[in-house]
Amino acid sequence: MKLISLSTEQAPAISVPLRFFAVAPVFLLLTAATLAISPGNPFAHIHTPALIAATHLVTLGFITMIMLGALQQILPVMIGSSLPAPRLLPWLIQIPLIAGTLLLASGFMLGKPVLLNTAWPVLGLAFSVFISAALFSLIRSTAKNSSKTAIILSICALTGTVTLGLLLTHGYSTGLSLNYTSLATAHTSLALGGWVMLLIAGVSYQVVPMFQLTPPYAKWLTLSFAPVIFVTLLIKLTLLMSDMPPRWAELVTENLFWLFAILFSITTLILQHQRKRRIPDATLTFFRIGMISLLGVALLSLASQTDSHVETVKIMVALLFILGFAMSLILGMLYKIVPFLIWFHLFRGGSFHTVPNMKEIIPEPWIWRHLRLHVCTLLVALLAPYWMVAAWLLMLSLLLQGIFLGYTLYSAISIYRNTLYRLEQT
Amino acid sequence: MVTIIEFMSAGHQACDNQFALAEQAAYASGWRQAEAEFNAFREDISCHFHREEDLLFPALLTAGGPNGPVNVMKMEHAQMSSLLDKMATLVANKDAKGYSGLSETLLILMQQHNLKEEQILYPIAESLLASDWDALHSRMLAM
Repeated sequence: MKLISLSTEQAPAISVPLRFFAVAPVFLLLTAATLAISPGNPFAHIHTPALIAATHLVTLGFITMIMLGALQQILPVMIGSSLPAPRLLPWLIQIPLIAGTLLLASGFMLGKPVLLNTAWPVLGLAFSVFISAALFSLIRSTAKNSSKTAIILSICALTGTVTLGLLLTHGYSTGLSLNYTSLATAHTSLALGGWVMLLIAGVSYQVVPMFQLTPPYAKWLTLSFAPVIFVTLLIKLTLLMSDMPPRWAELVTENLFWLFAILFSITTLILQHQRKRRIPDATLTFFRIGMISLLGVALLSLASQTDSHVETVKIMVALLFILGFAMSLILGMLYKIVPFLIWFHLFRGGSFHTVPNMKEIIPEPWIWRHLRLHVCTLLVALLAPYWMVAAWLLMLSLLLQGIFLGYTLYSAISIYRNTLYRLEQT
Repeated sequence: MVTIIEFMSAGHQACDNQFALAEQAAYASGWRQAEAEFNAFREDISCHFHREEDLLFPALLTAGGPNGPVNVMKMEHAQMSSLLDKMATLVANKDAKGYSGLSETLLILMQQHNLKEEQILYPIAESLLASDWDALHSRMLAM
């Protein structure tokens, strides 16, 4: 039996997660810029080229970039099994992910088939390398827990997302005759409901009790959540691909999916309310905003089931899921993980007295400032589909968030480098 | 009869409770109370480390348990103890900012350590030490 450990033998070099985290803020800047150069309000219609390009910049370049970096750190710690080829693998994932995302977004924005046709094999390379390495590591691990199940299912959903994404991109660029609406719905459902939500759930089972000293999640919920969500997604896919799906089956699947999302978000909020740790913590607020957003997304989706043609509601739901749920949780986790990793790697290599503590690596007031900016982003995001001024403010706040996060992360990395240099000199 | 996993995990929870009280006191209460809560936390965690290092780990190794994981756990105990020494100085100097930074750091170090013990090491101990547990348990309670 292997011991789960943050030891040098199993955890990757600190540069592995940090290089993924450091690139991500640049994609927030690119998202803002892409939206800004689009004519009219890009949030008014779901199929505007700028909105499709910006969605992929934020979901691939920001969310997935950070999730892939974090997973390479988390898998060894959480399931006791590291990814193979730890030096080569990060490059084989990150470089094609950056290149593929840029090609894909510019292909959508400029309407150039050649860019889309180049994007899909490049992205395919990044994801096939990551997925095979992660599944190899997960299958090899002897650990048995609900987090592992949720992460495996999340990666299976990622495989489906990528396959459908590649098919759609190839189809767009070559003019293939496909059922684009159904395939795009299936692609989005697997990406957000599967890859993003299941990974967040798998990680939350461990970090929510750990960071705030809350009671653990109820066993029945952690055992059932990921499998139920995954099965409902598979049923939804089957229904989308069939010619005349029974309406009752669609309704049951949708309701079950959102009911479990509500259960997960409410349970997390209750556990956080029962926390033993009572001091103010900005990362906790990020987490709570994320869970409230998921609750909002679920309720809005349930309420708009009968009137599924309201396009602006769909855009609002997507913004609330991507920026409110996924981004809030990612920021909350980043602000805990980055200072701890830096402290841990410095502490391991040097004298304890000369190593800055977590709150000296990323000062707490900075995290509170970013939180306030993020709340403003979410408020304007809710109005953006209806009001051009809010759309402009949303672009501006995404730009500011990119600058702010980038500055914070680069400052933390620079503290790491300077301290390491100082330790090596003494 | 309480099992090894239940007893040792309850020890972690007791330390967590006391950690939260010390952190809260350093944040909001006077230093007199913060010092009392911190000392209680330090005593709890030291007692837990002794139960493991003086009784559980030697028994586990004698029963054929893995050497590597036990050494990693002992190394992490040493890391936490050095953090606690520094925190004691900060409490004595009434340095709220310094205490809060180290407290945050200790919490994550402590939690990832507990997770490894509860998910890996204690289950190994439970499978190897079933017949010795009664005696070990009584000795631990006496500490």
